[in-house]
Amino acid sequence: MYRSDFCMAGVFRDAYLFKDYLRLRALFLLVSLLVLFIYLIRHFNLTSAYFPSYFGTPSAADLCGGLIFGIGMVLGGGCLLSTLYKLGAGQTASAITFSGVIIGGFASAALYPMFRSFAASTVLFRNKTALEHIVGSAGAPVLVASLLAALLVARWKKAGKLSQTAYARGYIQLWKASLIMALVIGAVQIFSGRPLAVSMGYAKLSGLLGGMFLPALTGKMAFFHRETPRLLYGRIMDGGAAPVFDSVVLTQLSFMAGVVSGSFISSLRLGEFKIRRLPPKKQAVSAFFGGMFMAAGALMAGGCNLWHLIGGLPVFALQSMVFALGIAGGAFLGSVFIRKAVFR
Amino acid sequence: MGKEGIKAMQSADEGKSKNIILDIRGQICPACLMITLRELNSNKERLKNAEVRLVVKTDHRDATRTIPSAAFAMGYSVTVKQMNKYYEITMEYAK
Repeated sequence: MYRSDFCMAGVFRDAYLFKDYLRLRALFLLVSLLVLFIYLIRHFNLTSAYFPSYFGTPSAADLCGGLIFGIGMVLGGGCLLSTLYKLGAGQTASAITFSGVIIGGFASAALYPMFRSFAASTVLFRNKTALEHIVGSAGAPVLVASLLAALLVARWKKAGKLSQTAYARGYIQLWKASLIMALVIGAVQIFSGRPLAVSMGYAKLSGLLGGMFLPALTGKMAFFHRETPRLLYGRIMDGGAAPVFDSVVLTQLSFMAGVVSGSFISSLRLGEFKIRRLPPKKQAVSAFFGGMFMAAGALMAGGCNLWHLIGGLPVFALQSMVFALGIAGGAFLGSVFIRKAVFR
Repeated sequence: MGKEGIKAMQSADEGKSKNIILDIRGQICPACLMITLRELNSNKERLKNAEVRLVVKTDHRDATRTIPSAAFAMGYSVTVKQMNKYYEITMEYAK
Protein backbone atom coordinates (compact mmCIF):
# COMPACT_ATOMS: atom_id res chain seq x y z
CA MET A 1 0.00 0.00 0.00
CA TYR A 2 2.82 2.40 0.85
CA ARG A 3 4.69 1.81 -2.40
CA SER A 4 1.63 2.29 -4.58
CA ASP A 5 0.04 4.90 -2.25
CA PHE A 6 -3.23 2.94 -2.36
CA CYS A 7 -5.27 5.52 -0.46
CA MET A 8 -9.04 5.06 -0.41
CA ALA A 9 -9.63 8.73 0.41
CA GLY A 10 -7.78 9.46 -2.82
CA VAL A 11 -9.99 7.02 -4.73
CA PHE A 12 -13.02 9.29 -4.40
CA ARG A 13 -11.39 12.67 -3.79
CA ASP A 14 -9.13 12.57 -6.86
CA ALA A 15 -12.02 11.46 -9.06
CA TYR A 16 -14.08 14.46 -7.91
CA LEU A 17 -11.34 17.09 -7.78
CA PHE A 18 -9.06 16.13 -10.67
CA LYS A 19 -11.04 13.60 -12.72
CA ASP A 20 -8.22 11.16 -11.89
CA TYR A 21 -9.87 7.71 -11.93
CA LEU A 22 -6.76 5.51 -11.68
CA ARG A 23 -7.23 4.69 -7.98
CA LEU A 24 -10.97 4.18 -8.48
CA ARG A 25 -10.21 1.61 -11.20
CA ALA A 26 -7.69 -0.07 -8.86
CA LEU A 27 -10.28 -0.29 -6.08
CA PHE A 28 -12.83 -1.67 -8.54
CA LEU A 29 -10.29 -4.31 -9.62
CA LEU A 30 -9.50 -5.21 -5.99
CA VAL A 31 -13.16 -5.60 -5.03
CA SER A 32 -13.90 -7.58 -8.22
CA LEU A 33 -11.03 -9.97 -7.56
CA LEU A 34 -12.21 -10.43 -3.98
CA VAL A 35 -15.76 -11.16 -5.18
CA LEU A 36 -14.34 -14.09 -7.13
CA PHE A 37 -11.77 -15.23 -4.53
CA ILE A 38 -14.23 -15.22 -1.63
CA TYR A 39 -16.81 -17.07 -3.68
CA LEU A 40 -14.19 -19.71 -4.54
CA ILE A 41 -13.14 -19.90 -0.86
CA ARG A 42 -16.75 -20.61 0.07
CA HIS A 43 -17.35 -22.95 -2.88
CA PHE A 44 -14.34 -25.13 -2.07
CA ASN A 45 -15.04 -25.00 1.70
CA LEU A 46 -11.63 -23.50 2.47
CA THR A 47 -13.15 -21.94 5.59
CA SER A 48 -16.23 -22.72 7.64
CA ALA A 49 -16.95 -19.00 8.02
CA TYR A 50 -20.00 -17.54 6.35
CA PHE A 51 -18.80 -14.00 5.68
CA PRO A 52 -22.21 -12.29 5.17
CA SER A 53 -23.02 -13.21 8.78
CA TYR A 54 -20.55 -10.58 9.95
CA PHE A 55 -22.77 -7.86 8.56
CA GLY A 56 -26.04 -6.57 9.91
CA THR A 57 -29.29 -5.51 8.31
CA PRO A 58 -28.81 -2.24 6.40
CA SER A 59 -30.18 0.96 7.87
CA ALA A 60 -30.07 4.72 7.44
CA ALA A 61 -27.28 4.70 10.05
CA ASP A 62 -25.02 3.00 7.47
CA LEU A 63 -25.77 5.72 4.93
CA CYS A 64 -25.20 8.54 7.44
CA GLY A 65 -22.14 6.79 8.87
CA GLY A 66 -20.69 6.41 5.36
CA LEU A 67 -21.43 10.06 4.64
CA ILE A 68 -19.69 11.25 7.83
CA PHE A 69 -16.80 8.84 7.23
CA GLY A 70 -16.43 10.06 3.62
CA ILE A 71 -16.25 13.70 4.69
CA GLY A 72 -13.76 12.76 7.41
CA MET A 73 -11.36 10.80 5.21
CA VAL A 74 -11.09 13.69 2.74
CA LEU A 75 -10.56 16.24 5.54
CA GLY A 76 -8.07 13.89 7.19
CA GLY A 77 -6.04 13.39 4.01
CA GLY A 78 -6.45 9.61 4.21
CA CYS A 79 -8.73 6.79 5.34
CA LEU A 80 -8.19 4.76 8.53
CA LEU A 81 -5.78 2.46 6.69
CA SER A 82 -3.76 4.97 4.67
CA THR A 83 -3.37 7.09 7.83
CA LEU A 84 -1.46 4.12 9.26
CA TYR A 85 0.96 3.62 6.38
CA LYS A 86 1.58 7.37 6.09
CA LEU A 87 2.19 7.46 9.86
CA GLY A 88 4.74 4.66 9.50
CA ALA A 89 6.62 6.73 6.91
CA GLY A 90 6.87 9.66 9.32
CA GLN A 91 4.01 11.90 8.11
CA THR A 92 3.23 14.22 11.02
CA ALA A 93 -0.08 15.23 9.37
CA SER A 94 -1.17 11.58 9.59
CA ALA A 95 -0.21 11.50 13.28
CA ILE A 96 -2.64 14.41 13.77
CA THR A 97 -5.37 12.49 11.87
CA PHE A 98 -4.57 9.41 13.98
CA SER A 99 -4.98 11.36 17.22
CA GLY A 100 -8.27 12.78 15.87
CA VAL A 101 -9.52 9.21 15.33
CA ILE A 102 -8.53 8.15 18.86
CA ILE A 103 -10.06 11.20 20.57
CA GLY A 104 -13.06 11.15 18.22
CA GLY A 105 -13.52 7.44 18.97
CA PHE A 106 -13.74 8.21 22.68
CA ALA A 107 -16.10 11.16 22.18
CA SER A 108 -18.43 9.36 19.78
CA ALA A 109 -18.51 6.26 22.03
CA ALA A 110 -20.67 8.40 24.32
CA LEU A 111 -23.20 8.59 21.46
CA TYR A 112 -23.09 4.83 20.85
CA PRO A 113 -26.53 4.05 22.43
CA MET A 114 -28.07 6.79 20.24
CA PHE A 115 -26.40 5.40 17.10
CA ARG A 116 -27.73 1.92 17.88
CA SER A 117 -31.30 3.08 18.39
CA PHE A 118 -31.08 5.15 15.18
CA ALA A 119 -29.91 2.03 13.29
CA ALA A 120 -32.61 -0.13 14.85
CA SER A 121 -35.38 2.32 13.97
CA THR A 122 -34.33 2.83 10.34
CA VAL A 123 -33.74 -0.74 9.13
CA LEU A 124 -34.20 -0.98 5.36
CA PHE A 125 -34.51 -4.76 4.81
CA ARG A 126 -35.54 -6.87 7.79
CA ASN A 127 -33.72 -10.21 8.19
CA LYS A 128 -31.69 -9.66 5.03
CA THR A 129 -27.98 -8.94 5.23
CA ALA A 130 -26.68 -9.79 1.74
CA LEU A 131 -27.84 -9.62 -1.87
CA GLU A 132 -28.02 -13.43 -1.99
CA HIS A 133 -30.85 -13.27 0.60
CA ILE A 134 -32.87 -11.14 -1.82
CA VAL A 135 -32.07 -12.83 -5.17
CA GLY A 136 -31.96 -16.31 -3.62
CA SER A 137 -28.61 -17.28 -5.12
CA ALA A 138 -25.01 -16.68 -4.04
CA GLY A 139 -23.56 -17.54 -7.45
CA ALA A 140 -25.67 -15.32 -9.72
CA PRO A 141 -24.45 -11.93 -8.38
CA VAL A 142 -20.86 -13.23 -8.49
CA LEU A 143 -21.22 -14.36 -12.10
CA VAL A 144 -22.78 -11.10 -13.26
CA ALA A 145 -20.28 -8.92 -11.35
CA SER A 146 -17.28 -10.96 -12.55
CA LEU A 147 -18.34 -10.82 -16.21
CA LEU A 148 -18.97 -7.09 -15.99
CA ALA A 149 -15.65 -6.53 -14.23
CA ALA A 150 -13.75 -8.66 -16.77
CA LEU A 151 -15.20 -6.62 -19.64
CA LEU A 152 -14.42 -3.29 -18.00
CA VAL A 153 -10.89 -4.25 -16.93
CA ALA A 154 -10.09 -5.60 -20.42
CA ARG A 155 -11.32 -2.32 -21.90
CA TRP A 156 -9.24 -0.24 -19.47
CA LYS A 157 -6.18 -2.42 -20.13
CA LYS A 158 -6.55 -1.96 -23.88
CA ALA A 159 -6.91 1.81 -23.46
CA GLY A 160 -3.87 1.96 -21.14
CA LYS A 161 -6.05 3.24 -18.30
CA LEU A 162 -4.84 0.83 -15.64
CA SER A 163 -1.35 2.21 -15.15
CA GLN A 164 0.47 5.51 -15.21
CA THR A 165 4.15 6.42 -14.95
CA ALA A 166 5.22 7.37 -11.44
CA TYR A 167 8.78 8.43 -10.68
CA ALA A 168 8.91 7.53 -6.97
CA ARG A 169 11.53 4.92 -6.19
CA GLY A 170 10.16 1.36 -5.98
CA TYR A 171 6.68 2.41 -7.10
CA ILE A 172 4.24 -0.46 -7.57
CA GLN A 173 1.51 0.15 -10.14
CA LEU A 174 -1.91 0.32 -8.53
CA TRP A 175 -3.32 -2.60 -10.53
CA LYS A 176 -0.46 -4.79 -9.34
CA ALA A 177 -1.09 -3.66 -5.76
CA SER A 178 -4.77 -4.63 -6.21
CA LEU A 179 -3.74 -8.11 -7.34
CA ILE A 180 -1.28 -8.58 -4.45
CA MET A 181 -3.78 -7.26 -1.89
CA ALA A 182 -6.57 -9.47 -3.21
CA LEU A 183 -4.34 -12.55 -2.81
CA VAL A 184 -3.17 -11.53 0.67
CA ILE A 185 -6.67 -10.58 1.90
CA GLY A 186 -8.11 -13.81 0.44
CA ALA A 187 -5.44 -15.86 2.28
CA VAL A 188 -6.02 -13.93 5.54
CA GLN A 189 -9.76 -14.58 5.33
CA ILE A 190 -9.16 -18.31 4.83
CA PHE A 191 -7.04 -18.47 8.00
CA SER A 192 -8.90 -15.96 10.17
CA GLY A 193 -12.41 -16.71 8.93
CA ARG A 194 -13.38 -13.04 9.14
CA PRO A 195 -13.10 -9.85 7.05
CA LEU A 196 -10.24 -7.46 7.76
CA ALA A 197 -10.97 -4.37 9.82
CA VAL A 198 -9.22 -1.68 11.82
CA SER A 199 -12.02 0.45 13.30
CA MET A 200 -12.47 -1.69 16.42
CA GLY A 201 -8.68 -1.62 16.85
CA TYR A 202 -8.76 2.17 16.89
CA ALA A 203 -11.75 2.03 19.28
CA LYS A 204 -9.83 -0.26 21.61
CA LEU A 205 -6.97 2.24 21.67
CA SER A 206 -9.54 4.93 22.58
CA GLY A 207 -10.79 2.68 25.37
CA LEU A 208 -7.27 1.91 26.63
CA LEU A 209 -6.31 5.59 26.76
CA GLY A 210 -9.70 6.50 28.24
CA GLY A 211 -9.21 3.84 30.90
CA MET A 212 -5.80 5.31 31.75
CA PHE A 213 -6.73 9.00 31.86
CA LEU A 214 -10.50 9.06 32.53
CA PRO A 215 -11.25 5.70 34.19
CA ALA A 216 -14.51 6.75 35.88
CA LEU A 217 -15.99 8.19 32.69
CA THR A 218 -14.77 5.26 30.55
CA GLY A 219 -16.35 2.81 32.99
CA LYS A 220 -19.72 4.49 32.57
CA MET A 221 -19.68 4.34 28.76
CA ALA A 222 -21.61 1.34 27.42
CA PHE A 223 -19.42 1.00 24.31
CA PHE A 224 -16.39 0.24 26.46
CA HIS A 225 -18.19 -2.45 28.46
CA ARG A 226 -16.85 -5.86 27.66
CA GLU A 227 -20.26 -7.28 26.78
CA THR A 228 -21.61 -4.49 24.56
CA PRO A 229 -19.66 -4.92 21.28
CA ARG A 230 -20.09 -8.68 21.59
CA LEU A 231 -23.72 -8.16 20.76
CA LEU A 232 -23.34 -5.65 17.91
CA TYR A 233 -26.24 -6.06 15.51
CA GLY A 234 -27.36 -9.09 17.45
CA ARG A 235 -24.49 -11.30 16.36
CA ILE A 236 -21.89 -12.63 18.75
CA MET A 237 -18.45 -11.09 18.41
CA ASP A 238 -15.45 -12.39 20.30
CA GLY A 239 -13.87 -9.03 20.98
CA GLY A 240 -14.59 -5.36 21.27
CA ALA A 241 -13.50 -1.92 22.40
CA ALA A 242 -13.22 -2.75 26.09
CA PRO A 243 -9.68 -2.20 27.40
CA VAL A 244 -9.04 -5.92 27.81
CA PHE A 245 -6.97 -8.50 25.92
CA ASP A 246 -9.23 -10.21 23.37
CA SER A 247 -9.36 -11.17 19.70
CA VAL A 248 -9.31 -7.51 18.58
CA VAL A 249 -5.79 -7.23 19.99
CA LEU A 250 -4.73 -10.36 18.11
CA THR A 251 -6.40 -9.38 14.82
CA GLN A 252 -7.05 -5.67 14.28
CA LEU A 253 -4.40 -4.16 16.54
CA SER A 254 -1.76 -6.59 15.25
CA PHE A 255 -2.78 -5.77 11.68
CA MET A 256 -2.52 -2.03 12.43
CA ALA A 257 0.93 -2.52 13.96
CA GLY A 258 1.90 -4.55 10.88
CA VAL A 259 0.83 -1.78 8.48
CA VAL A 260 2.74 0.89 10.42
CA SER A 261 5.88 -1.28 10.69
CA GLY A 262 5.66 -2.36 7.04
CA SER A 263 5.55 1.19 5.74
CA PHE A 264 8.27 2.22 8.20
CA ILE A 265 10.58 -0.50 6.83
CA SER A 266 9.59 0.23 3.24
CA SER A 267 10.16 3.99 3.56
CA LEU A 268 13.52 3.38 5.28
CA ARG A 269 14.63 1.05 2.47
CA LEU A 270 13.56 3.56 -0.16
CA GLY A 271 15.44 6.38 1.59
CA GLU A 272 12.22 8.28 2.27
CA PHE A 273 11.63 7.92 6.02
CA LYS A 274 11.69 11.17 7.92
CA ILE A 275 9.63 12.70 10.73
CA ARG A 276 7.97 15.39 8.64
CA ARG A 277 7.34 18.97 9.56
CA LEU A 278 3.92 20.04 10.81
CA PRO A 279 1.37 20.95 8.14
CA PRO A 280 -0.01 24.52 8.00
CA LYS A 281 -2.48 25.31 10.80
CA LYS A 282 -5.60 25.09 8.64
CA GLN A 283 -4.59 21.66 7.33
CA ALA A 284 -3.73 20.45 10.84
CA VAL A 285 -7.21 21.41 12.05
CA SER A 286 -8.72 19.72 8.99
CA ALA A 287 -6.69 16.55 9.65
CA PHE A 288 -7.75 16.41 13.32
CA PHE A 289 -11.44 16.92 12.64
CA GLY A 290 -11.22 14.53 9.69
CA GLY A 291 -10.00 11.87 12.12
CA MET A 292 -12.85 12.63 14.53
CA PHE A 293 -15.42 12.41 11.73
CA MET A 294 -14.01 9.05 10.58
CA ALA A 295 -14.27 7.65 14.10
CA ALA A 296 -17.89 8.82 14.44
CA GLY A 297 -18.83 7.56 10.95
CA ALA A 298 -17.29 4.14 11.54
CA LEU A 299 -19.06 3.77 14.88
CA MET A 300 -22.40 4.77 13.37
CA ALA A 301 -22.03 2.40 10.39
CA GLY A 302 -20.58 -0.48 12.40
CA GLY A 303 -17.28 -0.46 10.51
CA CYS A 304 -14.76 1.52 8.48
CA ASN A 305 -13.94 1.64 4.77
CA LEU A 306 -11.80 -1.49 5.05
CA TRP A 307 -14.57 -3.49 6.73
CA HIS A 308 -17.30 -2.39 4.31
CA LEU A 309 -15.53 -1.80 0.97
CA ILE A 310 -13.01 -4.66 1.15
CA GLY A 311 -14.87 -7.00 3.50
CA GLY A 312 -18.55 -6.37 2.78
CA LEU A 313 -18.81 -5.37 -0.88
CA PRO A 314 -17.15 -8.60 -2.15
CA VAL A 315 -19.91 -10.62 -0.43
CA PHE A 316 -22.57 -8.11 -1.52
CA ALA A 317 -23.40 -7.23 2.09
CA LEU A 318 -26.36 -4.83 1.92
CA GLN A 319 -25.05 -2.80 4.83
CA SER A 320 -21.76 -2.26 2.95
CA MET A 321 -23.53 -1.32 -0.28
CA VAL A 322 -25.44 1.38 1.61
CA PHE A 323 -22.20 2.49 3.33
CA ALA A 324 -20.50 2.74 -0.11
CA LEU A 325 -23.20 5.12 -1.31
CA GLY A 326 -22.72 7.21 1.83
CA ILE A 327 -18.93 7.30 1.57
CA ALA A 328 -19.11 8.38 -2.10
CA GLY A 329 -21.47 11.24 -1.18
CA GLY A 330 -19.41 12.21 1.87
CA ALA A 331 -16.17 12.27 -0.12
CA PHE A 332 -17.85 14.60 -2.62
CA LEU A 333 -18.92 16.99 0.17
CA GLY A 334 -15.46 16.75 1.75
CA SER A 335 -13.80 17.53 -1.60
CA VAL A 336 -15.98 20.62 -2.09
CA PHE A 337 -15.17 21.73 1.46
CA ILE A 338 -11.39 21.36 1.24
CA ARG A 339 -11.29 23.12 -2.13
CA LYS A 340 -13.30 26.05 -0.79
CA ALA A 341 -12.06 26.24 2.81
CA VAL A 342 -8.77 24.40 3.37
CA PHE A 343 -6.81 25.07 0.17
CA ARG A 344 -8.47 28.35 -0.77
CA MET B 1 1.97 32.44 0.85
CA GLY B 2 0.78 31.47 4.31
CA LYS B 3 -2.76 31.72 2.98
CA GLU B 4 -2.15 28.82 0.63
CA GLY B 5 -0.16 26.84 3.12
CA ILE B 6 3.03 27.19 1.14
CA LYS B 7 5.93 26.77 3.50
CA ALA B 8 8.50 28.65 1.45
CA MET B 9 8.49 30.29 -1.89
CA GLN B 10 11.47 32.09 -3.28
CA SER B 11 13.10 32.99 -6.54
CA ALA B 12 16.70 32.24 -7.32
CA ASP B 13 18.76 32.78 -10.45
CA GLU B 14 19.65 29.57 -12.17
CA GLY B 15 20.85 29.96 -15.73
CA LYS B 16 18.60 32.22 -17.76
CA SER B 17 15.31 31.45 -16.03
CA LYS B 18 14.43 31.83 -12.38
CA ASN B 19 13.10 29.02 -10.25
CA ILE B 20 9.85 29.41 -8.37
CA ILE B 21 10.33 27.03 -5.48
CA LEU B 22 7.21 25.54 -3.98
CA ASP B 23 7.98 23.62 -0.81
CA ILE B 24 4.91 21.56 0.07
CA ARG B 25 6.55 18.91 2.21
CA GLY B 26 4.54 17.76 5.21
CA GLN B 27 1.19 18.92 3.87
CA ILE B 28 -1.92 16.75 3.71
CA CYS B 29 -3.23 15.25 0.47
CA PRO B 30 -4.23 16.62 -2.01
CA ALA B 31 -2.14 19.75 -1.35
CA CYS B 32 0.60 18.75 -3.82
CA LEU B 33 -1.43 18.65 -7.00
CA MET B 34 -3.88 21.36 -5.97
CA ILE B 35 -1.24 23.97 -5.09
CA THR B 36 0.97 23.01 -8.05
CA LEU B 37 -1.89 23.44 -10.52
CA ARG B 38 -2.70 26.82 -9.02
CA GLU B 39 0.93 27.94 -9.34
CA LEU B 40 1.15 26.65 -12.92
CA ASN B 41 -1.96 28.65 -13.81
CA SER B 42 -1.02 31.84 -11.99
CA ASN B 43 2.47 31.85 -13.55
CA LYS B 44 1.34 30.62 -16.97
CA GLU B 45 2.66 33.58 -18.97
CA ARG B 46 6.05 33.69 -17.24
CA LEU B 47 6.42 29.93 -17.68
CA LYS B 48 5.47 30.10 -21.37
CA ASN B 49 7.99 32.91 -21.92
CA ALA B 50 10.64 30.72 -20.26
CA GLU B 51 11.20 33.44 -17.64
CA VAL B 52 10.64 30.97 -14.81
CA ARG B 53 10.56 27.26 -13.96
CA LEU B 54 8.41 25.77 -11.25
CA VAL B 55 10.22 23.52 -8.77
CA VAL B 56 8.05 21.52 -6.37
CA LYS B 57 9.48 19.84 -3.28
CA THR B 58 7.19 17.08 -2.06
CA ASP B 59 7.32 14.05 0.22
CA HIS B 60 4.16 12.45 -1.19
CA ARG B 61 5.01 9.53 -3.47
CA ASP B 62 1.79 9.85 -5.41
CA ALA B 63 2.74 13.40 -6.41
CA THR B 64 5.45 11.89 -8.65
CA ARG B 65 2.59 10.39 -10.66
CA THR B 66 -0.11 13.05 -10.53
CA ILE B 67 1.98 16.22 -10.98
CA PRO B 68 4.02 15.03 -14.03
CA SER B 69 0.88 13.64 -15.64
CA ALA B 70 -1.06 16.90 -15.20
CA ALA B 71 1.90 19.08 -16.24
CA PHE B 72 2.59 16.98 -19.40
CA ALA B 73 -1.07 17.39 -20.34
CA MET B 74 -0.69 21.18 -20.00
CA GLY B 75 2.33 21.21 -22.31
CA TYR B 76 5.17 21.36 -19.79
CA SER B 77 8.26 19.20 -19.71
CA VAL B 78 8.90 17.61 -16.34
CA THR B 79 11.90 16.16 -14.54
CA VAL B 80 11.71 14.31 -11.22
CA LYS B 81 14.68 13.82 -8.92
CA GLN B 82 14.86 11.95 -5.63
CA MET B 83 16.59 14.22 -3.13
CA ASN B 84 17.37 13.59 0.54
CA LYS B 85 14.01 12.24 1.89
CA TYR B 86 11.88 14.04 -0.68
CA TYR B 87 11.25 14.44 -4.39
CA GLU B 88 11.92 17.51 -6.50
CA ILE B 89 9.69 17.98 -9.53
CA THR B 90 10.76 20.63 -12.03
CA MET B 91 8.37 21.95 -14.66
CA GLU B 92 9.21 24.25 -17.53
CA TYR B 93 7.48 25.11 -20.74
CA ALA B 94 8.32 22.57 -23.45
CA LYS B 95 9.46 24.45 -26.56
